[in-house]
Amino acid sequence: MRALSRYCTSLVLAATAALAGAAAVADAPGAPDTSSWKCSQCPFLAGYEAQVEGGALYADGANASYGRYTGINHSAAYLDAGASGQYRRSDGLYTNYLLERLGLASRDGYVEAGEEGRFEVRLSYDGQPTRLYDVTATPFRSLGDSVLGLPPAWVAAGSTAGMAQLQASLVPINLGYDRRTAALSGLVFVSSVWTVSGEFRRQEKVGTDFTGASFLTEALQLPEPIDYVTNSFDASAAWAGRIASLRLSYSGSWFEDDSDSLTFANPYLAFTPGSTTGRLALPPSNNLQQLAAAGNVQLPWLATVLTYSASFGRLQQNAAFLPVSTLPGAAVPAPGSLDGDVHVSQYALGLAARPLRKVSVHAHASYDGRDDATTPLTLSYIVTDTFPGGSYVTPRYSEDRVRLDGGADYSPWSWVKVGVGGELREVHYGPGQVITWSQDAQSFGYATVTPLAALSLTLKGGDAARKASAFDAAALPVAENPLISAFNYAPRDRVFYSLSGTWSITPTLSWAVEGFFANDDYPLSQLGLQSVHERRGATTFSWKPLASLSLYADAGYQRLYDLQSGFTGGITPPWLVSDTERFWNAGAGAEWLVSQRWKLKLDYLHAPSYSDTDISVNGPAQAFPENWTRLDRTMLDATYVRSSALQLHLRYSYEKFDSADWALSGVDAATVPNLLALGFQPYRHSVNFFALTASYQFGRPAASASGSQP
Amino acid sequence: MTRTRAWRTAGAAALLLLMAAGIAPARAEEGATPAYSPHGADTCLVCHNEPGLMGLFRTAHARPNDPRGPFGHGGLQCEACHGPGGAHVKARGKQPAGIVDFGAHALAAVAKQNGMCLGCHRDNAAHDWDASAHAANGVACASCHTLHAATDPVRSADTQVAVCTTCHQTEQTDLLKLSHHPLREGKMECTACHAPHGSTAPAQLLHNTVNETCTACHAEFRGPFLWEHQPVTEDCDNCHQPHGSAQPTLLKVRTPFLCQQCHEGAGHPSIANTPQGLAGVPGGVPSAFLLNGGCINCHSQVHGSNHPSGRALMR
Repeated sequence: MRALSRYCTSLVLAATAALAGAAAVADAPGAPDTSSWKCSQCPFLAGYEAQVEGGALYADGANASYGRYTGINHSAAYLDAGASGQYRRSDGLYTNYLLERLGLASRDGYVEAGEEGRFEVRLSYDGQPTRLYDVTATPFRSLGDSVLGLPPAWVAAGSTAGMAQLQASLVPINLGYDRRTAALSGLVFVSSVWTVSGEFRRQEKVGTDFTGASFLTEALQLPEPIDYVTNSFDASAAWAGRIASLRLSYSGSWFEDDSDSLTFANPYLAFTPGSTTGRLALPPSNNLQQLAAAGNVQLPWLATVLTYSASFGRLQQNAAFLPVSTLPGAAVPAPGSLDGDVHVSQYALGLAARPLRKVSVHAHASYDGRDDATTPLTLSYIVTDTFPGGSYVTPRYSEDRVRLDGGADYSPWSWVKVGVGGELREVHYGPGQVITWSQDAQSFGYATVTPLAALSLTLKGGDAARKASAFDAAALPVAENPLISAFNYAPRDRVFYSLSGTWSITPTLSWAVEGFFANDDYPLSQLGLQSVHERRGATTFSWKPLASLSLYADAGYQRLYDLQSGFTGGITPPWLVSDTERFWNAGAGAEWLVSQRWKLKLDYLHAPSYSDTDISVNGPAQAFPENWTRLDRTMLDATYVRSSALQLHLRYSYEKFDSADWALSGVDAATVPNLLALGFQPYRHSVNFFALTASYQFGRPAASASGSQP
Repeated sequence: MTRTRAWRTAGAAALLLLMAAGIAPARAEEGATPAYSPHGADTCLVCHNEPGLMGLFRTAHARPNDPRGPFGHGGLQCEACHGPGGAHVKARGKQPAGIVDFGAHALAAVAKQNGMCLGCHRDNAAHDWDASAHAANGVACASCHTLHAATDPVRSADTQVAVCTTCHQTEQTDLLKLSHHPLREGKMECTACHAPHGSTAPAQLLHNTVNETCTACHAEFRGPFLWEHQPVTEDCDNCHQPHGSAQPTLLKVRTPFLCQQCHEGAGHPSIANTPQGLAGVPGGVPSAFLLNGGCINCHSQVHGSNHPSGRALMR
């Protein structure tokens, strides 16, 4: 690591020297005399202009499936409001604001103020709801302070079927949480080349997620209260010269979780005396602080631009450990806290140049490291609050990654460009891991043809091979099969092709296409992932036959396949599982300016998916039921322009989503003998959505309003 | 390859980059300085006064008191971006005559268009533009940015995704899948993770690594935990598909099969989970290894555990 630091320091010094050298050879271009350029016709904003919008929404049939990220998750009417505005004085003082969806949990907005060319201050808020499931039920009741209990009359049993009070004890519970982010940021233009900026951000994640737990072989799903806060502070100073730039920055992030544990009653008969309560550790508070430098230099030769970056940071965590077990009289002492200390670093150089008029090259060399300096602990532990599990040393994982990539292209004629490139990634794993290094080398070539000025097609193809060091079976957990090769470092061969194209057939008609094909094979993996195939394609047409009418249609298809093997043991042969996912999407829409008074938007989307899983166990393949999803959405948006200031908006959409999932379908609290489930079912909704809003503009001249967006 | 050798390889490559930049011969500048218009924007606006262009005067590019901006004191106004317009004016607009235009049907080459933008923006926002994938693929700044609109669609959460997926169409398909980040709902932007103007991180990520990018929001998984899960510390992408998945929680493959791609230990990790373990199968027994979260039903602390007894990530 010390040698590495010296190496990286020398890189940064070299980049700095190059920066200084480049600055020394800067030249100064001529500039016209603009003293008579008054810009008297320029419609700069002077004074105040704003737009307010308000109205009502109604969603019939809404649930968590529909309102997952919008917060519209009940069949109900919602009030909605929004506003935007700008104020500017002739001396350059200004204020801008934007407020959206104020009546919904997904509300967001900002207010900013400043003086042009001198400073800006901004206050922002963003609400991001996540609604998970609203058809769940649990016998657990919150007893406060992250403790879940069972009703007094609860009858414990060896399986869910024997829990006599289960059905009578179930209470519905909504799962979901809100992520709320508030930020205060500032920017000061200290001089023509220096800018200083800073931001404080506070993000809260509050609500109820779900988690799992077990008592040896008996499992249960639990509602998990969430109350996380992440405070972040970033500060930077940036220097931007004419041919070089440098940014120095500090960033700190402090994650806080006031609850260190979730304690829950055991609904099953205890395996061992006293095993009546379980306790999960919740995410511990942690912090990450980093210093970074980045910038670029334009060198005076070959149109060369050199980019550099370096950062150093520490990730720390020292939350007090929980007791080893809830078992009364568990003799194992709690060991204190981890004093977790991970050093992260990154150094990179990038280069782009045009050594000849028709040749350009680009390259990156980067290193990033995760050095876990935490002292491993030897712990005696209790398995699932049930029985002693022995003593074990906590593993620490460190990685050093080096990435070299680059490419060159040549344009022999104006309508052809051919290129080659490659990438080499090496990962060096720290002590105690199953392998010591892996290396992934990729090479590719591509050709872009532009037979017409507005038609461009690019075909790219390449292959890659990943190698890895000898496998150290001794580093595996005792029970692990030494034949398994984890897919993230198993040797792999890959071939891939891609096609992309755009064609502006006429100024009003355009087409775009993208396709991707890849095959991955894991030739040395006796068990685990054997192969992955990817086929992806998509295309879009857009057409504007009239100045008042634009149309579009798009479609996509994906097929993802993977094959893996496993081995149960004994004399049985390995089993094979294949999974094939197919996904389609097709859509079409139009925007029509019917008259000066009416604007219409139409949109239709159809997106189904199918997932087929087969398993072969010493015989013919057995098929799992097909998992599928189907999304259909039709949307109509009409705007009536009552006057240059007043507009009415009517929006209607019908969205239907249906799905089947063999892991969830029909699984309720007592379906699985050793899994007390929350009983959530596959997502499904059928929603008619109406919105009627009015917007009014203040201050904006009609001429500048049309053709621009508020 | 040993670690030392790897560093030597990386060092040699990096030094070669520096040397290649340093020893190369200078390239001659092209052309003489052409003439500008007589009155700047006042000249341009005589003809180019369409309402659709006037949104520019609500943007940061048209701030008369900002000395850094094209409309600040002494700025070149329209010609800061479109180039000297003297010949264009002299030809009464009948010839482009050196004007730099932008967009899909622009006469100006992409490099010329981008050069105008980078003249001011190479410093911070575009700090690795030249070596970026977008630059290598000939993407014009104006392919993404609409500068004459009062609000550039690519800078608004509600509309950015539509801009990016104009080219990144397979990602548009991914976003329609069952499990996805809230991009199509307008609650997250592509730029929450990616730096479209280039970065030295893989996949033009905003932060140094995949994990630093993910844990910028998902800080609860940042650790370091007492008991860590190696693929988690290495790369979140080992298990997750960030652009969208037909599986829950953006997983690449459904549990238990995803877990069994690495875990085949004696006992239940190696079990061949068949349809006999599903709910409602005659003669079968619903299996906790297969239904709901599969392995996660018990090993719920899969991202790491800080519990002294969390060795198997069950506490």
